[in-house]
Amino acid sequence: MIRFENVTKVYDAKSRPALDSVSLEVDRSEFVFLVGASGSGKSTFIRLVLKEDSASRGAVYVAGQNVANIPSWRVPRLRRGIGVVFQDFRLLPNKTVFANVAFAMQVIGKSRAVIRETVPEVLKTVGLEGKNNRMPHELSGGEQQRVAIARAIVNRPGILLADEPTGNLDPTTSMGIMKVLDRINSNGTTVVMATHDDDIVNTMRKRVVELRNGAVVRDDAQGIYIGETEAVAE
Amino acid sequence: MRLAFILSEIGSGLRRNLSMVISVILVTFISLTFVGAAGLLQLQINQMKGYWYDRVQVAVFLCVENSTSPSCAAGPVTEEQRDTIRGMLESETFTPYVASVEYESQDEALGHFQDQFANSPIVDSVTADQLPESFRVNLVDPEKYEVINEAFSSLPGVDVVSDQRELLEKVFSVMNRASLGALLVAGVMTVCAILLIATTIRLSAFSRRRETGIMRLVGASKAVIQLPFILEGVIAAVVGALLASGALWGMSRFVIGGWLAREYPETAFISDQQVLLLVPALILLGALLAGVSSLLTLRRYVKV
Repeated sequence: MIRFENVTKVYDAKSRPALDSVSLEVDRSEFVFLVGASGSGKSTFIRLVLKEDSASRGAVYVAGQNVANIPSWRVPRLRRGIGVVFQDFRLLPNKTVFANVAFAMQVIGKSRAVIRETVPEVLKTVGLEGKNNRMPHELSGGEQQRVAIARAIVNRPGILLADEPTGNLDPTTSMGIMKVLDRINSNGTTVVMATHDDDIVNTMRKRVVELRNGAVVRDDAQGIYIGETEAVAE
Repeated sequence: MRLAFILSEIGSGLRRNLSMVISVILVTFISLTFVGAAGLLQLQINQMKGYWYDRVQVAVFLCVENSTSPSCAAGPVTEEQRDTIRGMLESETFTPYVASVEYESQDEALGHFQDQFANSPIVDSVTADQLPESFRVNLVDPEKYEVINEAFSSLPGVDVVSDQRELLEKVFSVMNRASLGALLVAGVMTVCAILLIATTIRLSAFSRRRETGIMRLVGASKAVIQLPFILEGVIAAVVGALLASGALWGMSRFVIGGWLAREYPETAFISDQQVLLLVPALILLGALLAGVSSLLTLRRYVKV
């Protein structure tokens, strides 16, 4: 589903590359944790998949297509196949839960009838039944993140990218979010989650890819989180 | 659905930036009013040219007692000279150029003079023998004044050959300059309008950066993201253009039609229908102005 071939990304020629010759393949329906310290290249990975940036060297394939060959007017179509969730939720504060999720469908021209049908379904998937008309500020952090997830998956993307989705949440709430992501994954969506959270990684026992200074240093099928200090000690 | 969505985005954008939108409207209003005023002046010039060029005459003034030109050295024009001149004007040689010839005697000249300066004290001090008699020549082609001038100006008994068109040209050149001035002001105001539209779009883009960010992420097309901004500017500019059209129409109806036309019934003025011809041009200009400047701004401030 996502394939990186010797991808190097240099933002500033003077400093070291953000990604350094990374090769990585994520299969359809896989769940992958991307771990590593801040600045290890996790966010760059996500930006390259979304074609927010282009690789300096190497090739990025998303759904079999080299993103470098996608003309700019086709980029929206690429992004419709990818859902994204962030640490800071990025909800629209003046819209209700329903409207926040519906927004993602409105802007790509879905009909009102489809929206009315789909949004409650998706809200149910993320465990927000009956909260259609709440405003974001009336929700807890975990609930806000669920809205963000609902918005990310409402257009049924094949890939869900999550950039530290539990970074602002307490452990219990985080586990709830993980359950939602796991359920989405089991419906066939490829999930790539960048995280710092060792508890979550250790509990989920999914594939773990560790980045350090822009390079893949570990790729375990059912891995655990190895903290910075331990990793250095190895 | 998408249309309704874009419309609602435009509505919220306009509300959010109301004061900026109003200033865009006013600036485009003023700038397009000046553009339109320049246009009206040009229309008026054309109108007057059409009207007057059919009526302008070449006047062949004949010598009077105190004429100073060399051909008048022999004193006032004689009966004989006058007949020669008339004969020449009506001769075969000049029929291709001359449409008609009228003779104006000194008494008639006084009559016209008195009409023209009816309210001036100068009337009382002028007598018929001070005013020259003349032949009023209507030309087939008003441009061919030189032919008459060359043939007649040095003829004995002819004081001066004068082309009324020259007077008109002076009036037209004043009007041309005025319309140039209006265009200049319009140019400056247009620059203002472009910059203001750019600033407005920038503000609008900034206040909606959350929305546009999410639109990008979920794969909204460039058109859906940018159209609300562009249309916001275009709508404001078109409202400005409509106000300008209204102002110009009011001006032509009440100032030109209601006042000038009554004061100067002899002059052909443009009608308010002709002003309506300017309206689509102004609207198009306003929309183009806003569209182009917002497109350029968006390229810098709204990433797609």
